[in-house]
Amino acid sequence: MSSFRRALRSKLSLFSSISTSISHPIATTRPLSSLLPYSQNASFCSRPRQNNKEGSTIDLNQYPSDNIRNFSIIAHVDHGKSTLADRLLELTGTIRKGHGQPQYLDKLQVERERGITVKAQTATMFHRHKFLGSDTNFLLNLIDTPGHVDFSYEVSRSLAACQGALLVVDAAQGVQAQTVANFYLAFESNLAIIPVINKIDQPTADPDRVKAQLKSMFDLDPSDALLTSAKTGHGLEQVLPAVIDRIPPPPGRSTSPLRMLLLDSYYDEYKGVICHVAIVDGALHKGDKICSAATGQSYEVSDVGIMHPELVTTGILLAGQVGYIVSGMRSTKEARVGDTLHHTRTVIHPLPGFKPAKHMVFSGLYPADGSDFEALNHAIERLTCNDASVSVTKESSTALGLGFRCGFLGLLHMDVFHQRLEQEHGAHVISTVPTVPYIFEYSNGSKLQVQNPAALPSNPKYQLVACREPTVIATIIIPSDYVGPVITLCAERRGEQLEYSFIDSQRAFMKYRMPLREIVVDFYNELKSITSGYASFDYEDSEYQASDLVKLDILLNGQPVDAMATIVHKSKALRVGRELVEKLKKFIDRQMFEIIIQAAIGSKVIARETLSAMRKNVLAKCYGGDVTRKRKLLEKQKEGKKRMKRVGSVDIPQEAFHELLKVS
Amino acid sequence: MLRSMLTVFPSKIKTRNYSNTIIIAITNSPQPVRRNASTEYMLLQQQHNPTSAYVHLPFCRKRCHYCDFPIVALGLSSPHGDEDEDDPRIVNYIDYLCREIKATSVPSNYNKSPMETVFFGGGTPSLVPPRLVSLVLETLDAKFGVCTDAEISIEMDPGTFDVEKLKDLMNLGVNRVSLGVQAFQEELLKSCGRAHGVREIHEAIDIVGSCGVENWSVDLISSLPHQKSHMWEESLSLTIQAKPTHVSVYDLQVEQDTKFGSLYTAGEFPLPCENQSADFYRMASEMLRDAGYEHYEISSYCKSGYQCKHNYTYWINKPFYAFGLGSASYLNGLRFSRPRKLKDYKDYVQNLENGLVNCFQDSKVDAQDIAMDVVMLSLRTARGLDMKSFGKAFGSSTILSVCEVYKPHIESGHVVCLDEQRREIAAEEFSSLLSEGNKINEVLAYIRLSDPDGFLLSNELISLAFNVLAP
Repeated sequence: MSSFRRALRSKLSLFSSISTSISHPIATTRPLSSLLPYSQNASFCSRPRQNNKEGSTIDLNQYPSDNIRNFSIIAHVDHGKSTLADRLLELTGTIRKGHGQPQYLDKLQVERERGITVKAQTATMFHRHKFLGSDTNFLLNLIDTPGHVDFSYEVSRSLAACQGALLVVDAAQGVQAQTVANFYLAFESNLAIIPVINKIDQPTADPDRVKAQLKSMFDLDPSDALLTSAKTGHGLEQVLPAVIDRIPPPPGRSTSPLRMLLLDSYYDEYKGVICHVAIVDGALHKGDKICSAATGQSYEVSDVGIMHPELVTTGILLAGQVGYIVSGMRSTKEARVGDTLHHTRTVIHPLPGFKPAKHMVFSGLYPADGSDFEALNHAIERLTCNDASVSVTKESSTALGLGFRCGFLGLLHMDVFHQRLEQEHGAHVISTVPTVPYIFEYSNGSKLQVQNPAALPSNPKYQLVACREPTVIATIIIPSDYVGPVITLCAERRGEQLEYSFIDSQRAFMKYRMPLREIVVDFYNELKSITSGYASFDYEDSEYQASDLVKLDILLNGQPVDAMATIVHKSKALRVGRELVEKLKKFIDRQMFEIIIQAAIGSKVIARETLSAMRKNVLAKCYGGDVTRKRKLLEKQKEGKKRMKRVGSVDIPQEAFHELLKVS
Repeated sequence: MLRSMLTVFPSKIKTRNYSNTIIIAITNSPQPVRRNASTEYMLLQQQHNPTSAYVHLPFCRKRCHYCDFPIVALGLSSPHGDEDEDDPRIVNYIDYLCREIKATSVPSNYNKSPMETVFFGGGTPSLVPPRLVSLVLETLDAKFGVCTDAEISIEMDPGTFDVEKLKDLMNLGVNRVSLGVQAFQEELLKSCGRAHGVREIHEAIDIVGSCGVENWSVDLISSLPHQKSHMWEESLSLTIQAKPTHVSVYDLQVEQDTKFGSLYTAGEFPLPCENQSADFYRMASEMLRDAGYEHYEISSYCKSGYQCKHNYTYWINKPFYAFGLGSASYLNGLRFSRPRKLKDYKDYVQNLENGLVNCFQDSKVDAQDIAMDVVMLSLRTARGLDMKSFGKAFGSSTILSVCEVYKPHIESGHVVCLDEQRREIAAEEFSSLLSEGNKINEVLAYIRLSDPDGFLLSNELISLAFNVLAP
């Protein structure tokens, strides 16, 4: 068991479900500690409980739809979503207070470090509440969704399984960009929204101002807002009653043919793919044969249950309930988020909203040490087992050797993927400047979707007739003092202002249409730095727009460096070109010959720097006793050369590639 | 067979087996030195019996700011030593040194041969009273023999000796003096913490002259902090005026854990920038060449016939003994460094006497290591790398790979190819010979680095060869 646990600890778990001690049959007969074997270290286990003998299993038949509430918590980053979730779990006795790590549902190291949620998690809680005059046991599913726009599709699918949402807003910071984006996602899903003004214990808390913002921005009734401090516990007792009273039960019918929504999946070394599902209609039993509406593939359900807090076999899931299934899928790629699963040989209407993953940002990933290709390959394979939303194709570069072109849902997704590759799989990578999927159209009618700038011909055979680039609608909320610099920044980034208003006397709200390319590199950092960290920013995909794009090649002594090619707007080519060559001049060491660094569009050079030849590198004195030492120095120098990437005869240090990522 | 021979090497191999020629496969693709490649080259060098001895005399009045050698600072009190009362620290050290020499055995595969060169290095060997130097020489002579015409060098610092002391040393057989001048500018001497001034330098030069030392060297350091071009030029011309037979020019190396290391960063003010420092090197090369000195090694110049024989054993990778604190010997293809701390060194001598030290067993000589040493050391010399014997030892495929990697640098003039008669092979000719594969092996006899361009970038060029030898 312990090795099993260890194996899982650092990997991920998408979901965990947690039971309460209040009304559950198991809970009443067992001490709490036996229920929560892993709460101490917050690791969890996907193996069904060994002590679940016939008769002691949870009987989900006790929870008809009317006694179920499915809800989610949505918030801007750092507004206290994860802490509130922890408190609710404690309040229902699902986890013990003071045990288990904070941010219980954020299992990944990257989630904890960044305070973000990347993967959806759910927790099943049980709560007794006086409802319509009588004490009733309720089954509550908390579906914790990623907050970031990169995962907005995943969020929308998770929200589709909910009927309500707690909209958490920091009492001091008020409404922020992600609050807006998340509100609209919930609103569009027709969810009952319960505003929760959190962190009211802060000295700078101003709940009335936040209430006014909620009213003016979202037309939410100020009297509906709950005032809480997840830290001190203030007001928390109102939360679950509000969930039960204000959120409607799931609407599905147990008697209809089975339709279940696939929310997410992960790979378990022992059980294979575990899917997280919400039963919309009908009922699912162990042994049922099911079929995917998206792929047409059939599977037999070998295990079904809820999370308790580890996976707990129930043998059945009924309409409105949320749980897991194991069905013999070989890879998480077969488990498409948003897919509808149904019984084989039944005809159903697939649930609305299914979309295949849409990759918005592409980047080349190469092993930092060329010989590590196999290691990187292995690491990527393992990681994509648990993150099927990344597209991976092999590519090769003359400068960097064999590597991969990876497509990501967005910037954060890319960042998280890199971080997980390094943290969880020990891979050392060089990544190329991220790019977005441009479309180039030529006079012969051909269209080229460019995921790798190097693949775009510098001197095409046919005349270019149009290029198009993806755009986003960006939401920016800032203290009004910073409006000027932010408008300047957005204009520099080719933004088109769509909306400019004030949330209240202190906060401005702006909407811009911007080319995705412009925010891919360092936009958010820049925005934060010019607003002293006060800006909040979010974006959603928008359509493609025609744009004047050019391919910018970087040449070293006349040789193009494929991994450094970028596609930029013509108006920016000169500036970016200059910045790139200056950066390179700084990061390429002098070599035995002069190096000419150029940026060029086609055959036209637009920026140029010369790195003069090295003048001296000699170990002066070398007496007998010194031979070993001198040799070590030279060997070190040799090893240093080996780590460099070589284009033509020019050695390029890895840092040069890292630095280029920072040029917009 | 070869493998088993190698694993027992170095302690068991016998000289008479050396004629075994190893058949070397020739391929066109670049190949690293095979780990078990021919032992011939190392044997070529190692079959020479060691006839050189380095003796470390670590005492200094104070530590110079650039120095990270194993030294013992005595303090500034008695600059000339007291004839009647030798410093007990020196006496004690010399005692251990002589014990070390006595306890050292001639490695079994060498024959006992008398020393042809002895080098007293330091430290400041001129601080050691001649009577004690004599003890060391006598001990060496008793142990190995010292040839009557042996080159016996001693490093001397201005201000640490007078006519009488030098005469005494000469009477012991010392016949080569290496004078640690470093610079001719008071402010520079001061800033690098030298224990003498310019006046002492001139005095020392006069003493050397009046004692009639025929073979002597001036040591200079370029790229000192605050050193300006005109200062360096002055140092070089004053050196040339003094007419030593040998000049060593060291480009300052800022070592960690030295005062300079904590104060300065190479290439940054007040140290000269890289270009300036390269110019200093060029200036030395040019001025000394014009004054009739031969630039025979990266940092060594001499009048014809006055190469330092002792140092040359290093460049041609011949074995040598070493005695004293922190010194490194090279025997049986193995470099062995003695402890750098006095106490550890004394323990080491004790253990040596008790038969507890074995510097040879348990470590294997690796052909690749030897190849790298040979390349690194030969390319420091004007003679260059002897490609014929190198090819014989490590395979002509290795030669081809080295040629391949140096090709652009031959074109750029950093590397020079020479035939058997030491005529330069032009870059175009080299390219065409190389494209014909084996042809190059017939014609090419030496590869050397050009002076000064190739020498100035020797680290780059040597590490390129390392890449070929040990990828």
